[in-house]
Amino acid sequence: MSSSRASTWNKLGDAAYSKSEKVSADLVALTYGSFVREIIKDYEEPDQVNKELEKLGYNIGIRLIEDFLAKSGIGNCSSFEESAEIISRVAFKMFLGIRATVSNWNSEYNSCSIVFDENPLAEYVELPPEYTHSLLYSNILCGVIRGALEMVQIIVECQFVKDQLRGDDTNEIKIRFKEMLQEQVPWNDEE
Amino acid sequence: MLLSLFVVNKAGGLIYQQNFSDTAAKLSSNDYLRLASTFHSIQAISRQLSPAHSRFGFGIERIETDTFVLQAFQSQTGVKFVVTATPETKNLKNFLRRLYELYTDYVLKNPFYELDMPIRCELWEVMLQLAAEEHQRSAS
Amino acid sequence: MELRRFTQSAPKTSNTTMSNSEIAKRNILDRPLTRNREELYLSTFSFLFAEAVQYLQTRVQQVSELEDKLNQLGYRVGQRALELLCFREKMNRREIRLVSILGLIRVQLWKFLFNKSADYLKKVTDREDEYYIEEEEPLVNRYISVPKDFGQLNCAAFMAGIIRGAMDSAGFTASVSAHYIHREEKSRWNAPVTIFMIRLDESVMNRERQWTS
Repeated sequence: MSSSRASTWNKLGDAAYSKSEKVSADLVALTYGSFVREIIKDYEEPDQVNKELEKLGYNIGIRLIEDFLAKSGIGNCSSFEESAEIISRVAFKMFLGIRATVSNWNSEYNSCSIVFDENPLAEYVELPPEYTHSLLYSNILCGVIRGALEMVQIIVECQFVKDQLRGDDTNEIKIRFKEMLQEQVPWNDEE
Repeated sequence: MLLSLFVVNKAGGLIYQQNFSDTAAKLSSNDYLRLASTFHSIQAISRQLSPAHSRFGFGIERIETDTFVLQAFQSQTGVKFVVTATPETKNLKNFLRRLYELYTDYVLKNPFYELDMPIRCELWEVMLQLAAEEHQRSAS
Repeated sequence: MELRRFTQSAPKTSNTTMSNSEIAKRNILDRPLTRNREELYLSTFSFLFAEAVQYLQTRVQQVSELEDKLNQLGYRVGQRALELLCFREKMNRREIRLVSILGLIRVQLWKFLFNKSADYLKKVTDREDEYYIEEEEPLVNRYISVPKDFGQLNCAAFMAGIIRGAMDSAGFTASVSAHYIHREEKSRWNAPVTIFMIRLDESVMNRERQWTS
């Protein structure tokens, strides 16, 4: 990762964040909390809740990507490696007001972690004991990342591996690269 | 002068069409659908002509004729905005960028809109009209 | 899901009984509540809210049920927002009069959540127990076009719920609903404005009467 690209992305993230119209971070945190409560009421089982949060995040991601591309100034995301940096330096800053870092690359460069110390979604939240080791409160973020990347032809799997609400020292989302979708050429299906 | 707008989803389906002027050609809805999917295919094919094949070339972005120009913008996700206008019309690229932004706001953030389906959103219509008027003023 | 009460004297939670000392260490009570949180990009909220509407929509049969669910979603936000606001603004005095709590909602709570005061607060003529807050362009409706087949649905039912939650947690039980009304002369593009009808519970009115007598 060249440092000049990294600093360009940082600047794009800062610019996208600072020029955008704002809303109270408390409104976002409280609304998310109330939404999670609603989902818990409907599904009860923490595993089911986690799955549903991921799915809802996916639905957001496939739309949010257009907002990101239209307003961040990022022209395109060409590789998995680059996309991971763009997510943490530009997208996290733009949508959550925080900058995350990419770490834990494996040797094949098809898996890494996005790490962030502050989580505006989980502000004011404390999990009751029965959920501490089962509920992934911010799992919606995994879905958002998966959905957004899928729309730019990058297929990934995401998983929360560390969560401060569970007592971890930081928040960490592991991303595994699966495949790059190829563009459909219109005449291929006639062969 | 702006003539027509087409919004085409990533599969080549027409999801929105609107004329900005009475002088714009009026086609049957079937012809609009056919036009959208044909242009979608031609654009995809034209990408293959790029000397150093790139995943990100848009292919054909502009077609000029004696009587009109056609300008296209495609996002990386594959949604396409195509506008036709009289040949002297300026700033079409900016106009299309603006429409893309309006689409992300007034279509995608509307919970009653289903992705890739025909666009029926009142606020999008209103904002589109304002953007067209704005463009008309800036270009004249 | 438990949002802690935001009073300084909040009791220690059941954390202490948990084996994971890490969690206790990160106890929310140790974190500063008064620091000014940065604001977030409006789209973050808009996408979240749109998804919530879609989620609730798949679980109801009728428009009125969707409004109820949006109202309930807002209720929990309003309850906590008022507590948080009072803590932040160090408002130690409890609002006990109806007009004061309504004013607090229109100005402080609205600013806290929506960065502006609500446009108007009015009393319904001839009705002792009804007030309304008028908002030309409610934040949650910024990008939303309600399809014709959803009738009179107003997604600001969520904000009506916020008002109801805040009032309830201050001891003013009320029902609050959001409605579109046409005020041709002042809205852009003939768009309808939203009014939040607040109907106070009989018990609240009885208490008010005692204050005035």
